[in-house]
Amino acid sequence: MKKIIFIALLLTAGYGNVNAQKTKKDTTASATDSLLNSLSGDDKAEPVIATFKATRLILSETSETIKKNNLNFMVIHRFGDIGGTDGGSKTLWGLDNSSDILIGFEYGLTNNLDVDFYRSKYEQLLELGLKYNLVKQKSDDSMPVAITVLARAGLKPYKVETNVYDDYANRLSYFYQAIFARKFSSAFSMQIAPSFLRNNLPFPYLAGNDKNIFSLSAAGRLKFSKRMGIVVDYAHPFSSFRRNSNSPKFYNPLGVGIEIETGGHVFTINFSNSQAISPINYLADTESNWTKGQYRLGFTISRVFDFNSKHKGTNKY
Amino acid sequence: MKYIAIILIAWLGTNHAIQGTFVSKNAKVSIYSKAPLEDIEATSQKGTSVFNATTGELAFSVPIRSLVFEKSMMQEHFNENYMESDKFPNATFKGKIQQLPDLSKDGTYPVNVAGVLDVHGVKQNRTIPGKITVSQGAVSMLSEFQVACKDHNIEIPTLVFKKIAESIRVQVSAAYTPYQK
Repeated sequence: MKKIIFIALLLTAGYGNVNAQKTKKDTTASATDSLLNSLSGDDKAEPVIATFKATRLILSETSETIKKNNLNFMVIHRFGDIGGTDGGSKTLWGLDNSSDILIGFEYGLTNNLDVDFYRSKYEQLLELGLKYNLVKQKSDDSMPVAITVLARAGLKPYKVETNVYDDYANRLSYFYQAIFARKFSSAFSMQIAPSFLRNNLPFPYLAGNDKNIFSLSAAGRLKFSKRMGIVVDYAHPFSSFRRNSNSPKFYNPLGVGIEIETGGHVFTINFSNSQAISPINYLADTESNWTKGQYRLGFTISRVFDFNSKHKGTNKY
Repeated sequence: MKYIAIILIAWLGTNHAIQGTFVSKNAKVSIYSKAPLEDIEATSQKGTSVFNATTGELAFSVPIRSLVFEKSMMQEHFNENYMESDKFPNATFKGKIQQLPDLSKDGTYPVNVAGVLDVHGVKQNRTIPGKITVSQGAVSMLSEFQVACKDHNIEIPTLVFKKIAESIRVQVSAAYTPYQK
């Protein structure tokens, strides 16, 4: 009798066990899922990447910085006026002329800080600067924008016969900017950048011209394919002298273009009324007007070289 | 009769040696692709996995953003252009071990896991080979398999086709700990 009870107990115990397993089995699919989710659920908000493809759009610097030990080499070109008195067929719609050529190097000291050097044909400007990505946009909008700041010193080294540049400090310019950028979707990014430009000698050298110019620029990109997008770039210098001057007349720089990324290279092909490429020049001195045919073809080639050491050997567990 | 009871109890006991749920929070996932211009290589230590030793169910997940490349541009392109990691943040595999071996004894057991591989938002039925190692109650797993880009709708633009191979080798390794609620 004892034996029978023992076996019965054992059987019921076993049966109960099977039942328990059965119910467990039925719920495991979701249990495994929810357990997996709870394990990976603790991920923090990721920083948003690739707000812009390159460090420049057309006129503006973007919020992007060059990553550590990477070198960005840029060639930026602006041709001559397409229309107006300087354009037309006699200059092959501006292609015979170049209003500015910039050659630039940007090197990433850290992932967020780069040191930059540029040389422009326009005013023979040499520039040395730093650009720092202060804050990154977060995927959960705990930080809705990326903030990048840049500071730059410009020097106009050319030889002059007049006494305008007698004091060497008059050759110097300074440019400071804060860039607020937001990637609204994978296709659309926009940025707004207040900036301050100081020319120790007012440029162009005219009576009443400002040494200090505050400005606000806005730029955006709308991608229409994974690798191509339309870019628009505008800057507004706040200067009553510029607004009221009739000879020369000043205009606000505006550029539109197409950006093409090929994996390593980023090209922009653009049109702008601004002759100069550097903000030190174009904020102070844009005398060309879209409505008079004084816009030009331009392009930017940006190529990043990576100096991080390559993996040695194969990857093993 | 006593003997039967003892054997039964002993059998139940051994059967429970490696049972229940095991988890891994730092599974290593690496991808590798040999390409004419440069090899592509990235590693993540942030994979997570759940293994139910009772039922043989196995689930893996790795955040795409956690894969670290030697070249930062490559990492950005990988996330932005190829994997679209803002839209598809994780790659997952959910499956069940076919013919679950007896894991009560220490040893290495080759297994096949049938399930669904979800990469870039495209689900594929796959049977992936792997190895389970049991050593003094500790469970670990290893697996290596190929993922064809076109199977998961990962576009390789013609402009850069020479840089990316059409198939990526994926290696996964995970050490598990028993899950305690």
